[in-house]
Amino acid sequence: MVAAGPGGIPPERVLRELADLWVALGKQGQDEGGAGVLRACTLTLVVLAEAGDDAMALGETIAALMPEHPARAIVVKLSGAGEHALTERVYAQCWMPFGQRRQICCEQIEITASDAALADLPSVVLPLAAPDLPVIVWLRSARLFEMPPFGEIARMAAKVVADSAGFADPKRTLRLLAETARGGVLLGDLAWTRLTRWREMLARLFENRDYLAKLARISSVQVAYDGEFATTAWYMGAWIVDALEDAGVRAKVVVGAGRGPAPLSVELAGGGFRVVLERREDRLVITVDNTKNCTNLPQPGDYLLMREELGIVRRDAVFERTLASAARLAYATD
Amino acid sequence: MALENPFQDPLRFERQAPECAIVIFGANGDLTRRKLMPALYRLAYDRRLSAGFAVIGISRTPLSDDQFRDKMLESVKQFSEDTRVDADVWAAFARGLYYVAGDLNDAALYQRLGQKLTAVESERHTGGNALFYLSTQPSQYAQAALGLGAAGLGKGSGWRRLVVEKPFGDGLASARELSGRLHEVFSESDVYRIDHYLGKETVQNILAFRFGNGIFEPLWNRRYVNHVQITAAESIGVEGRGEYYQEAGALADMIQNHLLQVMATIAMEPSASFRATSVRDEKSKLLRSMRAMTPDEVRRNSVAGQYGPARIGGVDVAGFRQEPGVDAQSQTDTYAAITFFVENWRWAGVPFYVRTGKRLPKRVTEIAIHFNPAPLHIFDDDGGESAPNLLIVRIQPEEGISLKFLSKRPGAGMTLRPVSMDFNYGSSFGERSPSAYETLLVDAIVGDATLYTRQDMVEASWSVVEPIQNVWREARFDFPNYAAGTWGPAAADEMLARRGHAWRKP
Repeated sequence: MVAAGPGGIPPERVLRELADLWVALGKQGQDEGGAGVLRACTLTLVVLAEAGDDAMALGETIAALMPEHPARAIVVKLSGAGEHALTERVYAQCWMPFGQRRQICCEQIEITASDAALADLPSVVLPLAAPDLPVIVWLRSARLFEMPPFGEIARMAAKVVADSAGFADPKRTLRLLAETARGGVLLGDLAWTRLTRWREMLARLFENRDYLAKLARISSVQVAYDGEFATTAWYMGAWIVDALEDAGVRAKVVVGAGRGPAPLSVELAGGGFRVVLERREDRLVITVDNTKNCTNLPQPGDYLLMREELGIVRRDAVFERTLASAARLAYATD
Repeated sequence: MALENPFQDPLRFERQAPECAIVIFGANGDLTRRKLMPALYRLAYDRRLSAGFAVIGISRTPLSDDQFRDKMLESVKQFSEDTRVDADVWAAFARGLYYVAGDLNDAALYQRLGQKLTAVESERHTGGNALFYLSTQPSQYAQAALGLGAAGLGKGSGWRRLVVEKPFGDGLASARELSGRLHEVFSESDVYRIDHYLGKETVQNILAFRFGNGIFEPLWNRRYVNHVQITAAESIGVEGRGEYYQEAGALADMIQNHLLQVMATIAMEPSASFRATSVRDEKSKLLRSMRAMTPDEVRRNSVAGQYGPARIGGVDVAGFRQEPGVDAQSQTDTYAAITFFVENWRWAGVPFYVRTGKRLPKRVTEIAIHFNPAPLHIFDDDGGESAPNLLIVRIQPEEGISLKFLSKRPGAGMTLRPVSMDFNYGSSFGERSPSAYETLLVDAIVGDATLYTRQDMVEASWSVVEPIQNVWREARFDFPNYAAGTWGPAAADEMLARRGHAWRKP
C-alpha cells in the first residue's frame, strides 16, 4: 500500500496523485528487478460506508474483489455530525498473481465526509470515476439511502447495490427500493443475492421430472424468517409465487416470523406433495415428502455477494419483477 | 408440450450438468486419471453436477466399485492442480462411481453394462441419460460403438451421446469409415469429437475478441494482415509415448486437429449466432476454403523435422531415434511447419504459417497476426520495417493478448521504439479458469456441441493434411535435422524467408 498526502479534495489534485502513484509503483517494480506493474481497471466501485463500519473487514473485501473485478475503488466514509469536513488519501492495492513476476495493482481513493459535507460529495466523486467504465455504488449505509445526496450519486451509477437486511423497516425498505427501481436506477440488493444458492437448489430439485410433474399440486407457500432475514423472506415468497404463476399454478403465500430453529425456511405444499428448505447453521436441509437431504451451504459473506452483483451490470429481469412483487406482497399483508 | 422448470434463472445460476451417467471406456487409462476424473471431481466440488450423476468406469482389469473409487481418489489427489480434495465432497461424489470389468470385444460386457446402467438409473435417478466416453485406443472406437448398439444401449429412456477423443482416423478415408461406423449407432448430432484445445479459455476468447468488439474485425483481412503465424511448441520429447508417436507424427498429432481448429477460429467468418450449428458451419466453411496443395506445392510449403540429441542446460537429451520404442531409422516428423493458404476473398494471398514441434526451446502456444507496415515511413529511424504491428494471442502458458506498436522514445528527437500493450487473462481476471475438460464435459452433458468438432470439419482438415502426408510418406528425410532445444530445422526459416518473413521467437 502506498499512501499519498492528505489535504482538501480538488479532483485534479487527486487524479495527479493517482498518476504520481503509478509512476512510483512502476519505478519501484523495476528497481526491484520485476517487470513493472500492470494496471487493471474494469469499473469504478464507490463504497458508501459509515465511519463505524469495520474498516479492516471492508478493506479485505475490496481487496478480495479486485482480482476478478479490477476497479478504481472510491471508499467514502461517513463521519457523521460535526463540522464540514472532507478529506482524502490515495493508495494502491497490489497483488502478485500466482506464478508470475508482474505485480497487478488497483487504485483506491478514500474520502472521509461529515454529514455537513455530504452535499459536496457528488461533485467530488463524479470527476474521480474512471473514464468510460461503469460506476457501481455499494451502499453500506442505511441512513444515506434516504438522504438527498444519495439520489445524485445513484444517478451517475450504472448500478446501485444495497443491503436491505440492514435497514430498519423491511416493508418500507422494499417499497422505497421498488420506487427507486421504477425511477430507472439499476438496483441490486444483497438480501436478494443471499438467496441465489437457495433458489438454485429449489430449481435443481424441479429438474427432476417426477417432481416437476407434481408442481401443479402446490397450493400454499410458507416462508418463515428470523429478524434480519425479513426482506430476504419477502423476496423468496414473491419469487416462488411469480415462478408458480409462470407455470400456471396459483398458490397462497404466507410470509411471517418463524418460531422454529431455522433462521429461514420455505415450504411448498399441496395435494400430498411437500417440499421444505431450511437453513440450519451452515447446512441447507431439503425435505421432499419424507426424504431428507442435507447440503453444505455456508452463509455467504460480503465478498461472495458483491462478487455476484459486480458480475451483473445489466438489467436483472427476475430481480426487478421479484422486487415489485415483494413490495406489493409486503403491503398487501398489512 | 413438456412443462419447463419455472424456477430457473440463467443470469444468476451457474450452468449445471443435468442428471446423467457418464460411461468411461478406458477407465484405468492415463486420460481418465489425469484429466477426466480431476475435471469431474472439480465440477462436483463447484456443485455443478446434478445429484443424479454417476460414472461407470469400464476397463479390462477386474476391480470392485470400491477399488475403483480408491484408485480414482488417488488420481484426483495426484492430478488436481488447483482443487482441494474435500473429504465430504469426495464421499458424496464417490458414491456415484461404479465399475464394470470386461473386454470391449466381448458382447457380454455390454450386457453387463446395460444391467449396471439400469441399476444406476434407479439408484441415482440419472433419468436414463448416458454419455459414453471413449478414452480407449482409437482402433477400439468403432468396436465400442457397435457393441453399445448391438446391446441396445445406443438408445434409452433419456438421451444417449458418444464422446470420441482424437485421432479421428489417420486419413480422409479412415475418418469417413470411422464416422460411418459410429453413425450405425449414433446420429451425427449425438457424436461429440473432443479437441481439448477448443475448450481452453483463450481459444474461446478469440471468438469474444473478434466478434464481441467492433474495432478489430475491419482489420481482419488481406488488406491489413500481412501474414499469420501459429506456433505450438513443446519443450518435452515424446515422454514414453514413442511407440504411439512414431505412428502419428507432429502433422497428424497436432496440426490436423488442434492447430487447424485454432486457425479456423482465427480466420472464420462471423457466425450469425453463437449456436453450435452456426459456429461450426463457419469453421467448416473456412476449412473447406483451405487450399489442398499439389505435390510440388507441398515440397515448397512444408517442412518436416525430427530432433536429434543435444545437451540442454547441462543435461544430455536423447534424440527421437534414441527414445524407447522408436525405430532407429524412424522417418516420423517430430516437427512440422506448413504454409497454408485460404482461398476466399478475405484471406486470398495471406500466408498462414503453422508450426509445431517437440523438444523446442520452450512450451508455448500462440497466434501472431502480423499487420502490414505503415504505407509511408515519415520518420528517419522509425524501425517500421523491423517492428510491424503485431497482435499476439497467447494460448499457453500465460493466456492473454498483446498488441505491439511503435511509440516515441521519451526525450529529444523523434526516435521510435516498439512497445507492447498486454492483456493478461489470468491476472486481469484473477478467478480460476475452468480446465478445458471441465468446460467440454459440461458442454457434452448439456448438449452444447459448439466447441466439438463435426464430421465435415474433420474431413475438411484431412483433405488439406492428407496431400502433405502423401508427399512426406514418399520422401526420404535426412533426419535428425534439428537439435533438441532449438527452434526447428533451418529449412523452416528458409520457407518463410522466401516470402520475406521470419518466425517469431516467442
